[in-house]
Amino acid sequence: MKNKNFIYLFIFSAIVILAAEFIGIKVIMVGKIRISLLPLVFALGITMIFAIKVFRKGIFQKVYSKENVKFAGKYLIIIMLPLMARYGADVAPKLKDILSIGWIFLVQETGNLGTVILGLPVAILLGLKREAIGATLGLGREGELAYISEKYTLNSPEGEGVLAIYIFGTLFGALFFSIVAPLFTSLGLSPEALAIASGMGSASMMTGASSSLVAVYPHLEKTIRAYAAASQLLTSFIGTFTMVFLAVPLQKFIYSKLVKEEKNGK
Amino acid sequence: MENNKKKEYIKIMSTLIMSLLLILFTQWIKLLKNPKSTPITIETLTGLIILGIFSVLGIFIHSAVQKFPFKIIKDFPILGWVSMVSLAGCLISPQVIKAINSVDFLSITTPILTYAGISIADRLGDLRKVSWKIVIVGIFVFLGTYLGSAILAEIGFLLSGK
Repeated sequence: MKNKNFIYLFIFSAIVILAAEFIGIKVIMVGKIRISLLPLVFALGITMIFAIKVFRKGIFQKVYSKENVKFAGKYLIIIMLPLMARYGADVAPKLKDILSIGWIFLVQETGNLGTVILGLPVAILLGLKREAIGATLGLGREGELAYISEKYTLNSPEGEGVLAIYIFGTLFGALFFSIVAPLFTSLGLSPEALAIASGMGSASMMTGASSSLVAVYPHLEKTIRAYAAASQLLTSFIGTFTMVFLAVPLQKFIYSKLVKEEKNGK
Repeated sequence: MENNKKKEYIKIMSTLIMSLLLILFTQWIKLLKNPKSTPITIETLTGLIILGIFSVLGIFIHSAVQKFPFKIIKDFPILGWVSMVSLAGCLISPQVIKAINSVDFLSITTPILTYAGISIADRLGDLRKVSWKIVIVGIFVFLGTYLGSAILAEIGFLLSGK
């Protein structure tokens, strides 16, 4: 390897893992709600804190060198492969279970339209216009990014919207879902349903959401992981179709209604 | 060209090996902290090697299908191929499942999020450009997809009486 700073990155990552694992699982009680913070959250937190410009001096400048940050971004997908391979062992023993309620997995895919139903009115309420189209089409992952850039280019307001959600999700997605997912059990949603919802098309967000569910329901570990992984696989198969054939028309419909009503209101 | 491709593959393979080593390292740290956590045995090492093999197979399938004329198959992510290869492998042999299960799940996730944190280092500044409005919209968008799916799944469970 030509990158001479790589060794700093490697050692730094080992130290971060060491620190995160020694912090371990921390449980915070907010009222009656348990929030479990897993080592993965601390690992993410530590690396993000040291990434702040103030800290990037001396050795940290070498750790966070341009090549290293680029490497982490480009090859993160490769680092994730063993995780994906791990899911086979969760899904295979539960395959019969999963197939017996297969239609639930299919139906809940349309739940991804929630980005439009819940997000779009809020965006318009806040005064966003065409940016709202890009921002609420979906989770703002690669699929939406590709669709928006093909249709509107990334320099358009729509493009700005989708890029903003992309950045927001990259920075906080895993963290957000690892905290929020267990909270919904207090709304009366079952851990099984929340596990299925965790497979939403981003591997890191699914990991955050399903791992923190497991921390709350350790006895359901196998089921939670299997459902999340199966749902994730399904999303990567039919996610594009749901977006193009359902989310886009629905978004157009709601957008034209809301923006018109606003004009009339004035 | 050919040479570049070879270099890229070498880089991918060494990254994969690094990932597997970090998983082993994490599991070892977990053991130091809590001797009752998942032990490291021959089974664990076998499991890690199997995870590596499944990953490599997924990479190969992904690059092989690039010659296919169907966009949906070409665009299907490597991550998806790897989970399918792994699912097939685990259905064929219970030994494979046993080996993989001796690799602690959370030990796989800590290294990933470590590198995820580093990968976004240079984009933290972008957050200032993204106004607070987008952050609020983002929260509702994220809640929307999660709640939408969870509620539909819950209704499905109720209807099927489970």
